[in-house]
Amino acid sequence: MRVEGTGAARLEAFLARLYVDSAARAEFLGDRARAVSAAGLTEAECLAVVRLDAGALELAAQSFTHKHLLAQRRRAQRALSDRWLWFRRALSWLRGA
Amino acid sequence: MRQLSSTDRVGLSWRTEIAASILQHLDRIDVVELIAEDYFEAPLRRVRALATLAAQVPLVVHGIGLGLSSASPVSEPHLERLARFVNRVRPESWSEHLAFVRAGTIELEHLAAPPRSAATIAGTLANLRRVRAIVGTLPALENVASLLDPPGSEYDEASWVSAIAVGSDASLLLDLHNLYVNAQNFGFGAAEYLHSVPVERVSVVHLAGGTWLETNDLGQRRRLRLDDHLHAVPNAVYSLLEDVAFRAPQALTVILERDGRYPPFSELLAELTLAREALSRGRARRAQAQVRDAS
Repeated sequence: MRVEGTGAARLEAFLARLYVDSAARAEFLGDRARAVSAAGLTEAECLAVVRLDAGALELAAQSFTHKHLLAQRRRAQRALSDRWLWFRRALSWLRGA
Repeated sequence: MRQLSSTDRVGLSWRTEIAASILQHLDRIDVVELIAEDYFEAPLRRVRALATLAAQVPLVVHGIGLGLSSASPVSEPHLERLARFVNRVRPESWSEHLAFVRAGTIELEHLAAPPRSAATIAGTLANLRRVRAIVGTLPALENVASLLDPPGSEYDEASWVSAIAVGSDASLLLDLHNLYVNAQNFGFGAAEYLHSVPVERVSVVHLAGGTWLETNDLGQRRRLRLDDHLHAVPNAVYSLLEDVAFRAPQALTVILERDGRYPPFSELLAELTLAREALSRGRARRAQAQVRDAS
């Protein structure tokens, strides 16, 4: 799994991909050593990442997916509510005109 | 920014679903917290309406999408929008999380605990300098909850948070459920954490609830705590609030966060009462200790 960035940013990108990309997660859990060496992490980072708790990682990924959907729903609700506000204002302007 | 309060206050986070109930019970709510990102795409009229709310109750602003704690710079467009919102609403204070929310082209849309390293301390401090230059003020910095102890961490959480708070001279937003979650998930003492962080820098406290999840890694069953804001505040969190009130010399603003599965509003008001009682117990213990020390 190749990731963007350099230094500490590369580790953040690696973790972010594990949290949101199920294929990258499966690749990592299937062969951890290969996945971390392909990511270009430092030796110390590789040692830390290969020890990640698989169960906790899956729960964290589920939590990120849930929050992502929640954020999308909230944005849609806000957009709908703003459009409704705009429609009511337009209607009252037309009635007044 | 407006003048900060000199006494402890207890309030709620503003959510559309409970907005009407909040407005009906402002006699029992001292302060309201707004999520900044909720207003980024809102019509100007809705943002201007916040002035009406501000006339009725003190407001604080909470950011959730800046991604301060990263080796990478914060998103400039996000920072500009946040600055516009904060400067338009002119809240008493504002806050953000010690988390990363994006990495390269990946948008997490949620808070991730970064590796607690010298690089993320330096990155956070650099980001806070950018924030101060654009917004004009620093946010109160919030500790985040996590299911995973970030790999590549060189510091324990209390030392990492303290280094950033002291290095930036920012205040802290202490989320006591996040602290409880991490203490449970990673096996450290929440009370010891409170002794290690500069409690005199805490200006805001968050309370929330969560739930227990089960994980099975290589046949080893483990319980992990999730901070979901969908459940009542556990008693252990009120005990931590009492400890903070005992230790902190300054006034605290306590915000109850609830993001869904809303109970009858009377239950949220009861949680605010429990928070006030915990604050009172902590302040009474503090007063007794001061009398003891003086005699």
